[in-house]
Amino acid sequence: MNIELTDLTRRFGRNQAVAGVSLEAGPGVLGLLGPNGAGKTTLLRMMATVVPPSSGRMRLLSRDPGAHAQRREIRRRLGYLPQNLGYYPAFTVVEFIEYFALLKEMPPSRIPKAVAAAVEGVDLGTKARAKLRTLSGGMLRRVGIAQAIVNDPELLLLDEPTAGLDPEQRVAFRTLMRDLGERSTVVVSTHLVEDVGAACTEVALMDAGQIVFRGTPAELTVRGKDHGIGDAPLERGYSAVLAAARS
Amino acid sequence: MTAVALARRPARVLRLEIKHSPVPWVLPLIAALFFFNTYRTAAGFPAIWTVRASVITDHMLFDFGAFACGLSAWAGSREGRRKTTDLVATTARPAWTRQAAVLAGTMFWLVLAFLAGVAVLYVQTARQATWGGPPLWPVAVGVVGVVTVCAIGFTCGALFPGRFTAPLAAIAVLVLNMVGLRAALGSSSPYALLSPATSVPPVDAGLFYRVPPDVAIAQVMFMGGITVTAVGVLALALTFRRSAGGSGRWLRPVAAALVAAGVAASATAFGLTGTAKQGVAGWDIPALHDAASDQPIAYAPDCAGTSFQVCLHPAFGSYLSDMAVALDPVAAEIAGLPGAPVRAEEVASALRAGGFREALRTGGFQESVITGTPPVFEFNGELVGNFLGPFWGIMDPAGWRAGFQQGLLEAFVARPSQAALGNIAPAQQAVVTALMSAASSQPQLPRQDGPGTQAGPSRPQIAAAAQRFAALSPAARHAWLAAHLPALRAGHITLAQLP
Repeated sequence: MNIELTDLTRRFGRNQAVAGVSLEAGPGVLGLLGPNGAGKTTLLRMMATVVPPSSGRMRLLSRDPGAHAQRREIRRRLGYLPQNLGYYPAFTVVEFIEYFALLKEMPPSRIPKAVAAAVEGVDLGTKARAKLRTLSGGMLRRVGIAQAIVNDPELLLLDEPTAGLDPEQRVAFRTLMRDLGERSTVVVSTHLVEDVGAACTEVALMDAGQIVFRGTPAELTVRGKDHGIGDAPLERGYSAVLAAARS
Repeated sequence: MTAVALARRPARVLRLEIKHSPVPWVLPLIAALFFFNTYRTAAGFPAIWTVRASVITDHMLFDFGAFACGLSAWAGSREGRRKTTDLVATTARPAWTRQAAVLAGTMFWLVLAFLAGVAVLYVQTARQATWGGPPLWPVAVGVVGVVTVCAIGFTCGALFPGRFTAPLAAIAVLVLNMVGLRAALGSSSPYALLSPATSVPPVDAGLFYRVPPDVAIAQVMFMGGITVTAVGVLALALTFRRSAGGSGRWLRPVAAALVAAGVAASATAFGLTGTAKQGVAGWDIPALHDAASDQPIAYAPDCAGTSFQVCLHPAFGSYLSDMAVALDPVAAEIAGLPGAPVRAEEVASALRAGGFREALRTGGFQESVITGTPPVFEFNGELVGNFLGPFWGIMDPAGWRAGFQQGLLEAFVARPSQAALGNIAPAQQAVVTALMSAASSQPQLPRQDGPGTQAGPSRPQIAAAAQRFAALSPAARHAWLAAHLPALRAGHITLAQLP
């Protein structure tokens, strides 16, 4: 298992953002669904080793992120796209991705090829030498994805990766996620249920800091049969599960 | 992974940081400030290495300080401002190495620009100076000063990453410079020496005696200590951030040790500076002082003239012929009289009354004196500096010539203590004026009214007496002076007694 979470909690003052989450995941694409404030981003940040859990046990890639040396090993094998991507406007696309490849301690000899592959993977080959300040929001999002995948991560954490992407790019990105999920664990936090339906092998639905559903997209769809609100079957499953959890 | 590959990674990160540093965008502004403040100031000084080098710490550091601090704070706050904190926090490279690369990228440009400025100053001086070589201690102090403000600014930026941190840090350094660290420490105290901002040294500093590096060493130690402390504080702060990660357990004790070492270095420098005392050619700090450096520097003076020889330090050699032409006529007027100098020679200003500043304080300062057997007119660098200062040449040749002539004649007709302060008696003033007129110079007498002459004759009365004396034949003047010189020197001759 690449992700092993046991009764994980995270508090920010009086607010409990994550309240006793237990989760295991191996290779594949795991969609993390939930309403605003459900705790998806906080859970992702804990798995990205940005913030430590308040309590509970977490093992990533069979390592303990609480231990310095093991945390460093995890980070070498980690890709992360935060919800709000910060960037350095003066860097070019290639430089920005190369910078993160270097920070991820990739072997220098592998970096040029890996950067080129990441740039092509998000279809930014024509903009490789463009400065980030000249790119549109959707292109910046793709740069963020490229820096996350440049080290061919064993654990890829993506927070709202398709936000701002046009339909064509969204389709391409789903294909990319499926490819990555064949050899590594991809966790995608999203509001867009169609992304989950198209790319995820599993889905976890969070509400109020807890996971209230865990299964395949098909199982979530079934939960919405004759229940729930929504235009698509998956949306109906989503709303039905939430309604049940809150009742 | 090979060692070469490991070494290439930080080098590549550093290259990216250097390429994307904001400093180059501000370099034109720094260059303009350097030209108007530092370069032009230095150009106004004589081409004496030590004097020219004084602008490095006194002006150049001021030009660079605010920019260095502001730009470093800007670089230090980058991750916070650009909201990349989460993104970089998930990378394996320890935060301190990442931050070190950003700081190094900023420092690279600033130190490079600073050294380029020093090179401009030194190349210009090398083309004009006739003696000596470039002093390196002011450069070391300047570079350490730039590094120190960079470290302080960067630490402020990293700890308080806001858009206002950089301008506030720059303004703080500017105010500190304007108010003056010297003033903050108390200018009368030796602790003020810790400030790299100094006054212009005597014009012959470093010519006759080596300027001791004691104060420079203390300054480097003091600022170096602050730098190490700032870096230690930053590293310590990183260890308390989980997201900084990757730093290992060793970073916290190392950071604490850095803070302790930095504070200790600065405190030691502070303590050492408190023991500073005036030496032969500057401030000596006993614990750092090398007594061997107090020996005079050997040099072969540049001399000119046959009947009346004028000797200058070779650093002022370009002025030799002008000075010989100036002194020759007045020397001829008094030739053969008791105590009349047979030679003029430049001596170290520091030799007089145990040091220039102390001499000024006690009133024992003398610019020139006639001494020895046979008598020699000795003048020091302060007098020379006043007249040989601008490198671009003699601005007022007549006034320049008259100044030297007056210096020689006042030393001849007055007691040394009188001549030193310009408090010469009216009759002495009149004689000096008359002798200068006889030598076809425009007299500048009375130079000033001393305390003892305030109630005495007016300037027109002195001028009238001088005119009367000048109207005598050279032989008559010579004869009168031969007979009355002791009384004239003692101040016992009145204007009315002058023929």
